[in-house]
Amino acid sequence: MRRIWASLPGPVVVKAVEAVLLLAVLLVALFFLFEWAGGFLDSGGAITG
Amino acid sequence: MDTRAILRRAGWGLIWAALLLFTFLAYQLFVTDLLNSRVQAEAKADLEVDLEERRVELPEPETITVEDTVPEEEPEAPTTTLPPITFIPEAAGEQGSTLGRMVIPSLDLDEVIFSGVNSETLKKGPGHMPGTPVPGQPGNAVISGHRTTYGRPFYDLDLLEKGDRITVETATGLHVYEVRRTLIVPPDDVKVIQPLVGAWLTLTTCHPHFSAAERLIIQAELVEGPNLEYANLLVARDVEHEENT
Repeated sequence: MRRIWASLPGPVVVKAVEAVLLLAVLLVALFFLFEWAGGFLDSGGAITG
Repeated sequence: MDTRAILRRAGWGLIWAALLLFTFLAYQLFVTDLLNSRVQAEAKADLEVDLEERRVELPEPETITVEDTVPEEEPEAPTTTLPPITFIPEAAGEQGSTLGRMVIPSLDLDEVIFSGVNSETLKKGPGHMPGTPVPGQPGNAVISGHRTTYGRPFYDLDLLEKGDRITVETATGLHVYEVRRTLIVPPDDVKVIQPLVGAWLTLTTCHPHFSAAERLIIQAELVEGPNLEYANLLVARDVEHEENT
């Protein structure tokens, strides 16, 4: 975490904004990953032929 | 990099992987349930209004007069006209719209059902497969639902036994079905959604639990409802046709 924070460019305020944006992108990516992977657990049960 | 550093990195990697897996399971098993329960609660509150809106759009009921068939050995016998049969048609609504309510007392299941089976619709609750008749109509009405996520409406579907009742309320009234058979088929086995003679309800869900590898199928036959006589007439005509060919 500390290393990621250190690698963010700019002053502390800019770093904070970058960190929030990075977190948002990560959460959206996680959401899509979970939705996709959830299809293997339970796809909804429809016949897909 | 020395061995200790490699092990430390591998350890952190495993911790993050476990955290990711735990978050994934928590999302699938709890968060999706929470999202679904809100949608279902809203849909239940609006159900009567939604059904009333659908009732207004229903076509006029059809009246069918049936003439009793004359046996071949008695061609002179007079033809009797049986009391007319009323058939109330109903078409499916738009994708994602409320279609009705399904109750299975033996499973303690009470869910609002929607039109369509795309992933967004099935997140809301069991969905009616487009191209198949609406429950209560003649043919094979197909309803699909999640088994382990999004409120897991069909979690216990495998516990249904022959004769168990499934009630579906739509704009045309209350339709009661009785379970006739349970099947396990591949996910692309379209045989189970083919039209059937009479009025049938086919429920489909993932099988086994926590896997989408197969489908659990429940097929139930209409035993009560406003279109029962019409469905029975279609069965009788089919039997007659079979006998004559």
